[in-house]
Amino acid sequence: MTTTSLATAADRAPAQSFDHRALLYRAPEQLTERAAAFVTEALDAGQPVLVALPAPAAEPLRDRLGPAADRAGWVDMTVLGRNPGRILSALHGFAERHPGRAPHIVEEAVRPGHDSARVREAIRHEALLNLAFEGRTASLLCAYDASALPSRVLDRVRRTHPLLAAGDGRPGAQDRSPHYTDPLRICADCDTELPPPPGTAELLPYTSGDLSAVRARADRWAEESGLGPRRRTDFVLAVCEATTNSVRHGGGAGTLRLWAGDGAVRAEVRDGGLLGDPLAGRKRPDPLSPSGGRGLWMIHELCDFVELRNTPDGLQLRMAMSLDGPPA
Amino acid sequence: MGGVSEGTCSAAPGAYPCSGMHTSVVYATDDAWATRVSACVRRGIERDERLLYFAHRTPPETVFATLADRGIDVAAARRRGQLSVRTAQESYLAELPFDPDTVIRQWHTATREALEAGFTGLRAMGEMDWYGAGVPGAERLLEYELRMHREAFDLLPLAAMCLYDRRLLPDRDVALLEAAHLSRIREPGERLHPPVLAVTPLADRPGLGLTGELNADSRAALAGALATLRHGSDGDEVDLTSLVHIDAAATAGLAAVALRTPARRLTVRGAPPSLLRTIDLFPELGAALEVPSR
Repeated sequence: MTTTSLATAADRAPAQSFDHRALLYRAPEQLTERAAAFVTEALDAGQPVLVALPAPAAEPLRDRLGPAADRAGWVDMTVLGRNPGRILSALHGFAERHPGRAPHIVEEAVRPGHDSARVREAIRHEALLNLAFEGRTASLLCAYDASALPSRVLDRVRRTHPLLAAGDGRPGAQDRSPHYTDPLRICADCDTELPPPPGTAELLPYTSGDLSAVRARADRWAEESGLGPRRRTDFVLAVCEATTNSVRHGGGAGTLRLWAGDGAVRAEVRDGGLLGDPLAGRKRPDPLSPSGGRGLWMIHELCDFVELRNTPDGLQLRMAMSLDGPPA
Repeated sequence: MGGVSEGTCSAAPGAYPCSGMHTSVVYATDDAWATRVSACVRRGIERDERLLYFAHRTPPETVFATLADRGIDVAAARRRGQLSVRTAQESYLAELPFDPDTVIRQWHTATREALEAGFTGLRAMGEMDWYGAGVPGAERLLEYELRMHREAFDLLPLAAMCLYDRRLLPDRDVALLEAAHLSRIREPGERLHPPVLAVTPLADRPGLGLTGELNADSRAALAGALATLRHGSDGDEVDLTSLVHIDAAATAGLAAVALRTPARRLTVRGAPPSLLRTIDLFPELGAALEVPSR
């Protein structure tokens, strides 16, 4: 394989534990080259491979890999990464489906042009990967466009990846990131105060006994706001799971706010709960578990964007759904 | 098994429906109670059925006196062992917690005894206000009311009138329990808000119909429905055509019922979009249920 020569020694080393490295590339061809080497090496070693790249980056990689591409799993990050809060579940699920092996994953969660909120949640996702995969044998190559992403984003990349793989033409350069930071510290840094909802937001306080009325109002409001039937189902289902969590785990009551703007509808649930586990909702739960745990994961899957904050007053969960998003 | 005791139902044992067998009466005055009870007793005497009245708060002598006032020959009926009044405490609440399995068995025994005594069947009336009295096991009353259709009324020459006094029970409880009856009598002017979730036996096939919403506010009603389905059999149907919304916990509850028994089919008809989306996210739930498109 010609591509293997492009992999660094460390790239080729069998993953003995969680190997999480950032690839800071400066040209798309570099991403293709390095990713192809990474994938080929893993496939040749008989390891399971998942490629989670946006379609424009995935296509040249497929071409480069040729027939071998079919031996890898492919996920369009444009769809999966719309809400960074659901990427981890997809990657973790892939690893879970291959017990006893060394899954190899290529991903690109942040692209130039993503807004700051989405970048923040993608960075949180990268930090949480270090917790979720701790002790697991797996290898992740996370690509970042160093030519276009702002330096403040690249600084965060160096803080969330234990390893840095050079993609800037310096063959063999690979090293531990000197800036790597405790994932919980990163999460705390990401817990920025959310901009307040507009004063015109619809306000619906609720408690036990009000769930049906809140659902009906949210459904009507979403319809009036222009959300199509299928995405409205998703939005309302997410709101229902969130308000149910308030009643059952968040002190028995909460407040729902609904507002629209910037091409999206938004719902915010606030209640007296606190989220103790930063990985809550980021691994696919057993839907039949009597202890529940479905709601937050479903919310991440259903919504285009989710932000969660522990505040001095309790939990703040904000969900957004684009008006022009995919139909399901 | 002998003939059934209600003229409107001629179904063979094991066949649905026998909707006239199990009637709820919702009332709020002593006069309405007396009218319904005396009419029921009169019909039973006409059909030569044994009559059992289960009192909870009403003293037995008051029941007898009321029936006599309404022109029923109480003394004659009592002499021939046709009419008796027992308290719930000395009958189906004698052993607590209230257990639907035990009470359903008691109905089979009592009906057999009525037949052995030469009557054509058994007709019962029961005051249901014990539901709100903190009786252990009372939370299983909905399950009991629902299961009775298939496990008793469908099999026995048995009819029952369940008496729900709005002065003694919260409306939400009355509305929930009333919905479990296929035959319902409400006195004129007795209006009730529908419960968040109404669970009703299907009239023409084994299974349940669910109306309203399945969420954390209707979890108790769901528990009754699921317990009933657990006692059902392969091919049971859950009709959700009138269900507006079902949350993920409830969808998981339905799937868990089907998964309890290997290869058991539980058909979910008229699934709302929320259920379809939930099984899209959790295919293992969808695999446990048969979900024809709405």
